[in-house]
Amino acid sequence: MSTALPLLSPELLARLQRMELVSRKVFRGRMKGERRSTRKGQSVEFADFRNYVPGDDLRFVDWNTYARLDRLFLKLFLEEEDLHVFALIDASRSMDFGDPTKLYFAKQLAAALGFVGLVRSDRVRIETLGNSADRANVFRGRQSLWRMLDYLESITPEDTPSLAEAVKSFCLRNSGRGIVVLISDLMDKGGYEDALRWLVARRMDVYVVHVLAAEELDPPLEGDLRLVDCEDADTAEITATGALMARYRRTLAAFVDGASEFCTRRGMVYMRASNETSVESLMTGYLRQRGLVR
Amino acid sequence: MFPEWSSALVWWQWVILAAVPPAVVLLYFLKLKRTPLEVPSTYLWHKSIEDLNVNSLWQRLRRNLLLLLQLLLIALAMLALLQPGWRSQILSGDRFIFLIDNSASMNATDVAPSRLAEAKRQVLELIGEMDSADVAMVVSFSDTARVEQTFTGNRRELRAAVEAIEPTERRTSLVEAIKVSSGLANPGRSGEDITDERVAEALPAKLFIVSDGKFPDVDDLALGTLDAVYIPIGQPDAANVAIVAFDTRRHSRQDDRLQAFAQMVNFGSEPVVVDAELFLDAQSEPFDVARETIPPNGVWSEPFPMVGVESGVLELRLSVEDALEVDNRAWTIINPPEPVPVLVVSPGNEPLQWALTTGPARRLASVQVEPPEFLATDTYRQQAAGRAWSLLIYDRCGPETMPQANTLFIGSVPKHPGWSAGPRIEAPMIVDADPAHPLMQFVTVDQELIAAATPLSFPSGGSVLIDAGDQPLLAIAPREGFEDAVLGFELVGVRSDGQMGLRTTWPRRLSFAVFLQNCVEYLGGAGRADSANRYRPGESVTLENPDPEQSFQVRSPRGKVTNPRGGTQGRFQFRETTEVGEYKVESGGSTAGRFVVNLFDRAESDVATRAQGAIRIGYVEIPDDSGWEPTRTDLWKGLLLLGLAVLLLEWYTYTRRIRL
Repeated sequence: MSTALPLLSPELLARLQRMELVSRKVFRGRMKGERRSTRKGQSVEFADFRNYVPGDDLRFVDWNTYARLDRLFLKLFLEEEDLHVFALIDASRSMDFGDPTKLYFAKQLAAALGFVGLVRSDRVRIETLGNSADRANVFRGRQSLWRMLDYLESITPEDTPSLAEAVKSFCLRNSGRGIVVLISDLMDKGGYEDALRWLVARRMDVYVVHVLAAEELDPPLEGDLRLVDCEDADTAEITATGALMARYRRTLAAFVDGASEFCTRRGMVYMRASNETSVESLMTGYLRQRGLVR
Repeated sequence: MFPEWSSALVWWQWVILAAVPPAVVLLYFLKLKRTPLEVPSTYLWHKSIEDLNVNSLWQRLRRNLLLLLQLLLIALAMLALLQPGWRSQILSGDRFIFLIDNSASMNATDVAPSRLAEAKRQVLELIGEMDSADVAMVVSFSDTARVEQTFTGNRRELRAAVEAIEPTERRTSLVEAIKVSSGLANPGRSGEDITDERVAEALPAKLFIVSDGKFPDVDDLALGTLDAVYIPIGQPDAANVAIVAFDTRRHSRQDDRLQAFAQMVNFGSEPVVVDAELFLDAQSEPFDVARETIPPNGVWSEPFPMVGVESGVLELRLSVEDALEVDNRAWTIINPPEPVPVLVVSPGNEPLQWALTTGPARRLASVQVEPPEFLATDTYRQQAAGRAWSLLIYDRCGPETMPQANTLFIGSVPKHPGWSAGPRIEAPMIVDADPAHPLMQFVTVDQELIAAATPLSFPSGGSVLIDAGDQPLLAIAPREGFEDAVLGFELVGVRSDGQMGLRTTWPRRLSFAVFLQNCVEYLGGAGRADSANRYRPGESVTLENPDPEQSFQVRSPRGKVTNPRGGTQGRFQFRETTEVGEYKVESGGSTAGRFVVNLFDRAESDVATRAQGAIRIGYVEIPDDSGWEPTRTDLWKGLLLLGLAVLLLEWYTYTRRIRL
């Protein structure tokens, strides 16, 4: 099965190693190379000067300036703040479809992003929606790669609460800003809008990767069928006629367009992906274009 | 057209076939046990079928299209096995003659809107059934026949001719219609020469008599190559109440007393309450009314006594709901009681003069007696030409030119072509008399003795009233609108002893006075004070223009004005008595005379349609249905084709679904 394959091939790892995660929000306005200094130690990044006021730490007084101007200035350094990368994987049962499954694709993508983050010493947190009890999913540093991959391998499809509930729970638990990559099929009967609003409200840099299986894009159905929802056992009786299929495709297109528009209007980046898309091409091509990695 | 079925299967095969549709439905439901299929989410599917559910019935039908098509296919197959067909009739023959009765009885409304309309409808239907190569002719008939359309294959012309037929109020006679039809259908040779190219072959034709059958059988006509069919129109039990007689008589002694008699007949099978209203001169208030319940097929005779009515037009109206309207009204004219002027030219005839001085005769006639010499005077000539007398009686004499009046010759013959007297015979024995003639009513002559007589020869159209074994002794014959009666023996004359005396015993009898009174009434027009000027529809009326200088016209009851032409000596024949009611003769703007036309025909009023197969022409019973040939139109081929189409549609539907 596809799940037996390694999430990341050595070739992909080699390519990802040269990449870097970029946040549009947290470090907006910063110049190139600034991220590099963070790796050399804390509080060495000069930011600005300000007048000394009694009580300031004398260690930060710029003595050279005092010598020249005979005035006390405090040298300000930018506070160190590591980049938080969150990968939110929808592990609902609906993700267990397709070949490879959408969940496998999601795990692969999360692994790739996580690896990029780990390489750049970012704080990588991988969560499945609704699985709030698991705390051992924060990774930092390259050495955490195998632990992360192990964690990802352990993710299996399970019954989850609704998308909105799960995202709300995630947002309440994680107050830090950062990049959130939500990998989901957004197939929630309660709608995806509330979930995304929660993410926006946390002022996170949100990327929504909308994963759809090839079977969903073009269902190979025929005859009289009773469709059973794998999550809630809801049924829909259909007779697969040409008209109905055309209608389904129209509905799907409307659904995808609606999600895309919803995200764009709120400053989120929306990406539609098929389970058959290769992660490598996604990372090196599409995500790079959209500015998530470079 | 009648649907017809004939099964192609026996009962157990039908049972098997009947089990197929339930089996198909069963199979369909088995098949419809939908295959469950797990999908990531039914979210989008629900959204997709959401608006389809709005018209879910249609969707259900669409979903079940295959089932419906299969059931339809089986139904069509079963229907085809039933071998349905139309048992219809087609017109046999290629030449048709449509005789359409438009007589008075065809106005009956027992079939809506009227019998004539129904007849026209049926004929139009027959015309519609004609093949393109067929030809037909349309003839309307009442007491006369009229060719509305000669033989043609143009159906539009035929239809137009049928549509143009108008109802009349005339009586019915089939004879002329048959003659016209056979004449046109079997034209005789155009000349004696048999090599004449125009000699037409007698071609057989189908003759449709579309009528209610209210005409007498035709005995003395052969149909020849005509194949007659009677299409009865109307109900055989149609009920009608009719006035069959309406007349007035003055009291025999009191001129101011008048009695109107009416006779009404109920031709229906139920008793009918009838209100009869008598109107004088079209006044709005009835002059007299009467009510009576007439039993089925019963007769109601009602006298209406009238006092002080000098003249006028009497109209009798029946208030009753029946099939025929035209016979619910009748008219009669009351003329003022005036004695008619009678001239008696005689060398002396006491019995004759006595008979003309009886009470009734005096009231009827003002008699002027002149000797034969008077005939030579200018006074006579002028007055005779000017119609000064209504009746002229010539006793043993005669004028050189016949007068413009009716005449009675006694012991002499008119000097008019056709009249002559045979050799004198002694003591002829009266063998027969015609009691039906108005002149001979209540006259018995069989016991009379006659000394001598000269047997008469009379012009064509005359009739014998008294004869002595093939030797006419009293005859009457028409003459240009008048009638001449001639008695072939003298009443008084020179007896064998040389004395003047009676030459017959007749003047001694009351019957002689009655005969003279009849002459005054019938020939002189007296007593017709109340019965003159009455005609039947279609009868010819002789009209006189009192002033030839003035314009002359006849106004019909419905106001149609006719100007009679071509008359001689101020006399005209008016033939357009097609409507019942009062006709006014107008001369110079004033009413110069009146006459009335009444139906008074029991045959027309008895509107019960003659039973089918009861028509006889020349001793040949006319069938009522041989115009049609039964034919059967099978529908199973069409059903089979339809089934094939359904099969194709099903196949198409199925393949479309597979392709999804």
